[in-house]
Amino acid sequence: MKTRILGIVALVAVAAMVLIALFVVPADLNQGDAQRIMYPHVASAWLAYLSFGVTALAGIGWLWKRDIRFDAVALAAAEIGVVFTAFAIWGGMMWGDPVWGVMWQWEDPRLTTTALLLALYVGYLLLRRLTDDPERRATRAAIVGIVAAVDIPIVHFSVEWWRGLHQTATIGSPDRVLNPAAPMVFVGTLIGMVGAFTLAWAYLIIRRYQLARLDVERDEAARIERLMSARTAEVAR
Amino acid sequence: MPQTIYVSPRSVGAHDTRPPAVVTTDLARLFAGSPALAGVSLNVAAGRTIALLGPNGAGKTTLMRIVATAIRPSYGTAMVDGMDLARHADLVRERVAYLSHATGLYDDLTARENLAFAATLLATPDRGARVERALGDIGLLDRAGDRVRDFSAGMRKRLALGRILLGSASLVLLDEPLAALDDDGMGLVEQLLAAWHDAGVTVLIASHATERLEPFLDGRIVLERGVVAETSGEGVSSIPPSLAAPPRPAVAAR
Amino acid sequence: MTGLRREASLALAIARKDALAELRGRSAAVSTLFFAAVVLLLFGFALGPDTQRLADAAPGLLWLALVFAGVLAVDRLHLLETDDGALEQLALYPITRRAIYAGKAIGGFVVMLVLGVVVLGAVGILFAVDVAAALLPLLVTVVLGAVGIAAVGTFYAGVTVRLRAREVMLPLLMLPVLAPLLLGAVKATSAALAGDPFGELGAWLQLLVAFDVIMVVAGAATYGYLLED
Repeated sequence: MKTRILGIVALVAVAAMVLIALFVVPADLNQGDAQRIMYPHVASAWLAYLSFGVTALAGIGWLWKRDIRFDAVALAAAEIGVVFTAFAIWGGMMWGDPVWGVMWQWEDPRLTTTALLLALYVGYLLLRRLTDDPERRATRAAIVGIVAAVDIPIVHFSVEWWRGLHQTATIGSPDRVLNPAAPMVFVGTLIGMVGAFTLAWAYLIIRRYQLARLDVERDEAARIERLMSARTAEVAR
Repeated sequence: MPQTIYVSPRSVGAHDTRPPAVVTTDLARLFAGSPALAGVSLNVAAGRTIALLGPNGAGKTTLMRIVATAIRPSYGTAMVDGMDLARHADLVRERVAYLSHATGLYDDLTARENLAFAATLLATPDRGARVERALGDIGLLDRAGDRVRDFSAGMRKRLALGRILLGSASLVLLDEPLAALDDDGMGLVEQLLAAWHDAGVTVLIASHATERLEPFLDGRIVLERGVVAETSGEGVSSIPPSLAAPPRPAVAAR
Repeated sequence: MTGLRREASLALAIARKDALAELRGRSAAVSTLFFAAVVLLLFGFALGPDTQRLADAAPGLLWLALVFAGVLAVDRLHLLETDDGALEQLALYPITRRAIYAGKAIGGFVVMLVLGVVVLGAVGILFAVDVAAALLPLLVTVVLGAVGIAAVGTFYAGVTVRLRAREVMLPLLMLPVLAPLLLGAVKATSAALAGDPFGELGAWLQLLVAFDVIMVVAGAATYGYLLED
């Protein structure tokens, strides 16, 4: 029930923020309406990173406590995360095309890191898919998730240095929006969008986790059932 | 006659002063949803030589591999020399030696090099001499400089047994030790069993048929379809698996 | 012997064993080197014949060749343990998991170092860059790159050793993680070859060091879990 309320609230929040971003907030002076996609793009990127963090932490939880529900969390976060990552990249390209003239800009740390994040996610999910045994899958996924998560900040910094040393600032980046001198309208919209998206993300993860946990519990029940029937069969003889 | 085989077990002492070599409680292991071990609760006394019998697929190898710490159980607990496998796997490894179906030997290294490598990892004291001694004891001294790639299955098995001699295990697990061995090889296994028995080492032998090993056995365990069907002889006992309570999940540990 | 010293000597023993087995295995060790050479040749065909263009691209080509060859090299080291269940046996010895990881990674490092030096020389010749003039910083870069590739590669080779579609999954998992190393190494190489006009060489080398340290720690901490089934 609580989850349903969360879902409705999230839906309303996202719808509201989208409307605000499209119609209420003034267009950027330099970039015009194209800049509006920055809001969901940044929000998605933030959630892409957050999801991977959750996946890695859930992996640590599995290795430590060996409770398979941690692995269900990791799976949910990875699947939802990959969706937000893809959307963030798409948003970045849609934004880049009118603003930069090209869809891709290697020196934008967010775009490049997010693309790499997508590659890490895909590798993670494929690894899971290729492993049958649930415990082995959880362990392999956990350690791969941890190492990949550790890599992400390094990637981000290295791309920033890459850009910094060539001294071309990324035009119209949200860094400009987030600095103290920026107009409150922009900042507020961005924060609102991030908040709304985070609510939606939380709702999706909870739902996906519930599904995954049902799977896990059903498998566990089947295993225990076969175990018990094997025991009773022998004892009865 | 060959000289007495040199074994150096870790724990010695009268049988009744030592903790049981192996204690398992509702030990179970599933592969892809299917139970290889359904629920085994065993007690093996220290210093005994016990045969693990049963048809293919009964769970003999799975049980051994869990006790050897090669794989984790899905449910239940196991203790070796009083130490919990889940919490002290590293300590258990110091006192258990395992001969599996696979020999774990490196094809491109010579017999001597394989044993020397093992001795380094086992921290065998006086390494060089012990390796030579082991090679002599298993009867491979004349082939010591040959690559394992050229060895027959029986020779590989002997070499794997030689590797066990380099350690100081108090529990030796042998999975089908007589398979692929000729008469001389089987004689070697018998000598080893005698030496281990004298040294107070607990030996667990998984086999289809153990007529030849009969005189060396203290007790027998029969596994069928993942549970203990019966036990006989001395030094081994079991209780039926728990039916009422659901199996306890394996303890979290490294 | 204290714990750490014993671990180090165990790691060296494992690396030595790998070296022995690899050298005895017929010509397998050299094949990775030839693969790197073939990759360089193909780069030449793909981007040539303009010498200037190749010279400009040389740092990138050098490290791409090393990274691709690195995938093969670490894979080989783990395949050595498929001899009749050797990896499982290795895990049963009373040694720490860290020591096994370190042993494999040291072996990988040595292979990558040899590869790095040879490919560096080959790039100098094929793409007309003056390697000798900046030899010291270039060698430092090669050493740091070799550590990183070995640390990451050994880890993922362990992850994929019994995985389906291993030949695809190893590069798929390993290469994205190596992206910052690739970036740093290429930048450092460029800077070194140009005489470091902007003083950025130090910064890129620091990035490599940070990457290496983090990855070695992460790999050593998690590799052990692969050996428990």
